[in-house]
Amino acid sequence: MTRKKLNTLFVALVAFLLLFLMTGPAGQASAAQAEPKKKLVMGTSPDYPPYESVDAKNNGEIVGMDIDIAKYITSQLGYELEIASMDFNGLIAALQTGRVDFVMSAMSATDERRQNVDFSDYYYAARNTIVSKKSAPFETLESLSGKLVGTQLGSTQDLFAETIEGAQLKKLNKIPDLIQELNSGRIDAAIVEDAVAVEMTNANPDLAMNFLPADLEENGYAIAFPKQSELVASFNGVLSDMKEEGKLDEISRKWFPEPEKPADKLLGINIDFSVLKGYIPYILKGVYVTLLFTLVSALFGLVWGTVLSLFKISGIKPLEWFATAYTSVFRGTPLLVQLTLIYYATPQLTGYDIPALMAAGLAFGLNSAAYLSETIRGGIMAVDKGQREAAIALGVPYRKMMVRIIFPQALRNILPALVNECVALLKESSLVSVIGVADLMRRADVVRSNEFRALEALLFIAAIYYVLVLILTTFARMLERRLRRSD
Amino acid sequence: MINVTGLTKTFGKNQVLKGITTTVEKGEVVALIGPSGSGKSTFLRCLNMLETPTTGTITIDGIAITDPKTDIARVRQRIGMVFQHFHLFPHMTVLDNITFAPIEVKGLKPEAARVKARELLARVGLSDKADSYPSRLSGGQKQRVAIARSLAMEPDIMLFDEPTSALDPEMVKEVLNVIRSLADSGMTMLIVTHEMKFAREAADTIYFLDDGKLVERTKPEQFFTSPQSERAARFLEQVL
Repeated sequence: MTRKKLNTLFVALVAFLLLFLMTGPAGQASAAQAEPKKKLVMGTSPDYPPYESVDAKNNGEIVGMDIDIAKYITSQLGYELEIASMDFNGLIAALQTGRVDFVMSAMSATDERRQNVDFSDYYYAARNTIVSKKSAPFETLESLSGKLVGTQLGSTQDLFAETIEGAQLKKLNKIPDLIQELNSGRIDAAIVEDAVAVEMTNANPDLAMNFLPADLEENGYAIAFPKQSELVASFNGVLSDMKEEGKLDEISRKWFPEPEKPADKLLGINIDFSVLKGYIPYILKGVYVTLLFTLVSALFGLVWGTVLSLFKISGIKPLEWFATAYTSVFRGTPLLVQLTLIYYATPQLTGYDIPALMAAGLAFGLNSAAYLSETIRGGIMAVDKGQREAAIALGVPYRKMMVRIIFPQALRNILPALVNECVALLKESSLVSVIGVADLMRRADVVRSNEFRALEALLFIAAIYYVLVLILTTFARMLERRLRRSD
Repeated sequence: MINVTGLTKTFGKNQVLKGITTTVEKGEVVALIGPSGSGKSTFLRCLNMLETPTTGTITIDGIAITDPKTDIARVRQRIGMVFQHFHLFPHMTVLDNITFAPIEVKGLKPEAARVKARELLARVGLSDKADSYPSRLSGGQKQRVAIARSLAMEPDIMLFDEPTSALDPEMVKEVLNVIRSLADSGMTMLIVTHEMKFAREAADTIYFLDDGKLVERTKPEQFFTSPQSERAARFLEQVL
């Protein structure tokens, strides 16, 4: 196991969505023109630079060291290569069901996996690496005794670090978090994989890295095939040629470059917005996703919240109980829990593989409705009871009375509260990145992990959120003025 | 036209109406008078089922409106009601207030409804306020719009629940004049009022209610000159 399970799932989903949102599936373009040549489909989870990642700056193509190696081998063997992007956890299943011919995804050849698939020879071995501040470097495991060491939760290095004697561990979710903690001095060192360490030190000139000896058994990467695949032998043949000819080193040097010269720093503040260059269009596309999502969940919440509020004032006991219990549950549990439950439990309970964006819209709408139902109920109750009597006396039917007489006045009462709810939804929408919706937050995370820089993308999207909220409140003020013209 | 038999109404433990039986003829103008808490307003509100009677029956042109099977919304279209606090729809213009029910309830064409509304506004002397919002109007103007709004449904019966009680004194007259001209036009009307002079001049019949009972039902002249009951005499002594 080389990778963190949960994170991988999320990131893979993003990558998947990106492909659809930005370019359409990258692999299919080449598939379309493959007539006479035999074609091999390779499965990969493009969330692990430099092995494989989505090139967010250029059309979302999948690039990386694994991809280059795969291209070389397949072309040597006379095949056309098609890349299928999927969740890391689904790769083995894809092999077993024949959806892909082989898998290259920085996958370690563990015994557990060997029971289900065949592996080629190792083509690369990752080294555990200590990353620390240049001013206070750590070179050996022994020197880490008594120090606070950061790791990425669930990674191979996380397990490895457990064995360091005397070291105290701090487990974080993301690589950029590790960088941030190093920079701010909250941890003394971090243990990560070599590829990650190279990127970290490249992006942060203050950091130094020290490789630990490679261990093929632990960290050797190999190509996976279905059991009894005839491809194993021919792939191994090309691999050993590549090792001899230095082709493998050439490719790995391309993807693991030497650290660049330290850049000039201003005032010791480690923020450089030029790292966002090229990513801006990619991040801005998240505005659309975030706004769409906010709109959908706000509308859904408003409609469902209205229905619930009508239940509450209906005078029909079962409906009242239902609405009250509903509100109690959805207000009484964290939104993040609801979101995660809906996303993961729906496929298990109903067999319907709910798309992330729909799950998110549903969760936020359902949650928002609970709050809004109370607001709307209050707004309706605050409308003078004489309005209702006047309408009844005129013979206006209930529905028409509610829609044309009561709601417009209630809406005016609750507009400020509604705007607050929309602002809250807009900001809380950043939670959906947890299940892989490619909103602003998610995109910032992608950029952070691509660039190994912690703060720039976050500051950038914070500014975007703020501008969006400003626009929303301005719009609301205009609407309020319009509604108040009758005063 | 209106037949009320054995009408009672109880709120919780408090019996507000204690058995009222009476008949209102077509074109009759009835003024309901009595001390506060005597049940005048509750009685009026029972007549279009804004309050559901506890016992007793009410029939209007032979239709038993107290019968749960009766389509009460249809009956209400024929009964206009004017409230003490006007209850105009604040988010609509004066014209929209008046045309709303004819268009939405009766299905009148908007154009026809607007023509009719302007006629009614002229009748209550507010032609220039058609496009104003209620918040721009004085109390007297609001009440006149409210009357026009009820009349737009072309009701057979008009109920007035203390129509001038919430008005500044100088505005009472303009509203009473409208009501009086309506009475002169032959409309069947029941008016809860504290304006004794108006009741005496405009009403055909005075109902004196006290403690949930219809104590006197007489001609105005007789009521104001020689009330039959001691309670009515005492009441008149206090208000005149």
